[in-house]
Amino acid sequence: MVVAEHLHKTFGRFTAVKDASFTIEKGEIVGFLGPNGAGKTTTMKMLTGYLPPTAGTASIAGWDILDNPVESRRHLGYMPENVPLYDDMRVTDYLIYRARLKGLRGSDIRQRVGYVLDTCGLDPKRKNLISTLSKGYRQRVGLADALLSKPDLLILDEPTNGLDPNQIRQIRELIRSLSENHTVILSTHILSEVEMICNKVIIIDQGEIKAADTPENLTRGLRAAGRVSIEFKGDLDTVVQELEAFAPVKKVIVEETQPGDWHRLLIRAEPGTDTREKAAAIIAAHGYATRHIYRHIPSLEDVFVEMTRRD
Amino acid sequence: METKDSPKTGSSNKKKCCSKADILNYLSTLWVIYTKELRGFLCVPFGWVILTCTMGIQGLMLQAVLETMTKATGNGVMYYMTDSLFFLLLFIFIFPLITMRAFAEEERLGTLEGLLTAPVTTTQILLGKYLASYTFYIILWLPMLLYPWMSELGNLYTQIRYGEQAETTITYMMSDWFGAYAILGLTGAFFVALGILCSSVTRSQIISAIFCTCLMIMYYFMGRVTELWGEFPAAPIFHYISCTEQFRSFTSGVIDTRPVVLYITMTICILALTKRLVDYRRWTR
Repeated sequence: MVVAEHLHKTFGRFTAVKDASFTIEKGEIVGFLGPNGAGKTTTMKMLTGYLPPTAGTASIAGWDILDNPVESRRHLGYMPENVPLYDDMRVTDYLIYRARLKGLRGSDIRQRVGYVLDTCGLDPKRKNLISTLSKGYRQRVGLADALLSKPDLLILDEPTNGLDPNQIRQIRELIRSLSENHTVILSTHILSEVEMICNKVIIIDQGEIKAADTPENLTRGLRAAGRVSIEFKGDLDTVVQELEAFAPVKKVIVEETQPGDWHRLLIRAEPGTDTREKAAAIIAAHGYATRHIYRHIPSLEDVFVEMTRRD
Repeated sequence: METKDSPKTGSSNKKKCCSKADILNYLSTLWVIYTKELRGFLCVPFGWVILTCTMGIQGLMLQAVLETMTKATGNGVMYYMTDSLFFLLLFIFIFPLITMRAFAEEERLGTLEGLLTAPVTTTQILLGKYLASYTFYIILWLPMLLYPWMSELGNLYTQIRYGEQAETTITYMMSDWFGAYAILGLTGAFFVALGILCSSVTRSQIISAIFCTCLMIMYYFMGRVTELWGEFPAAPIFHYISCTEQFRSFTSGVIDTRPVVLYITMTICILALTKRLVDYRRWTR
């Protein structure tokens, strides 16, 4: 659906995106991750054809964004960051205008506008002036606009930015339901969101693509993968020594000591190993009590931090 | 639920063909932008405020002209109207007001992004905005259509009041009136294009308006250079672009083809430059 080849963008001396190449298949929900200023928005804007790339090119549904900009945009629904809208128009009027602009004609317009108003939950606000809408509803108008022309590809720049938890949940459900008919690219800071809805993740940092894979593949083989937290009551040094003698364990860190001789340890071990049983056995052998034991399930957050941290 | 025909990957590099359907499609998209922009003038108070002010000043102009015509005669109503100070004032400030919003407002709101990522070309957007502004400009001058009729009415009143033998006090000829519309339309085409250009280089309406006003004043007074410096070798150029002289000849009923060529070519050049600028500004953002 999307093929990006060596996309490169410089602003004067500043390089925003360096040699970004990736492919996105039909039906995928792709999450763009990266710290602020990593080049997420720039990459997305290049895909929409709004920002011309300094070098390289991309194609959407087989149409090159530079050679056939109009045709490639026909297959595209784009929701920009902060959702710029005409404040002096009414919601329905705005959507009708956008539908006509996107080449819809005749009865298609009413039908599609009705459909997106319904899908995005805008029906109660259809007659409102856009300037009177709250942030959440503006966001929905932006999403409705992106959906108007039944695009093959949806590019959503921070679709849940500034929404309350309920609205985030609604938008998330909506995006998930859209994946049946559309390919979706979205950018966000909220990693749990990506974990929940995306089946592919592209991590960008300082303009470079660090990883492009499924969340499962990314979290496998991470340093954080074998970590175990344990809380026990007893003599600290004995337990630490015995734990460190155990093969897959690389290091034992004392995180906290609480009143009543309770200690919390963090055991760093080889990825993919499970040291819980052994650790519990060591503590039990001394007759000490355990009140908490937990093996870290590596999250995208760990992947993100590992790939984008500066130290 | 929704099916989409698969794209013709092989033809992605094919040159655009210009069939009748394509042209119709192009024009209908242009029409969509045009009507939206025109509604932006006529469906909000902004446009009506300008229209009211313009009509007020046109009224003052007419008042001043009738005053003048009691002393000087020999030329028509239109000649004196476009020669008055009120007209100059109106003419210089009307263009920035009409065009300042065109691109500056879109850029400030960020809606230009939405517009340029829709399947439309920059040329369509530019032409839509240009034609809408130009149409609004023409609408501003429509009240003048009443003047010949009002002159008739005035003359009729004089004749009723002072008898058949009374001289007609308000002289006008349809040719003057036609000439006035022709030159207003021509200069307007150029100045609206200039205003749109100014609007496309900034995101602030105020800066756009000031920039446009400066250019207008510069252009207008370049035409009057010969009045200050007299005749000198380069003087014909200044005569050629002089708005004042063009207005005088057109409103006397002389349709000169030189300004026609001048303003049409200038308009096309400025619009082409604006298109480049709008595209160029995307590169730098």
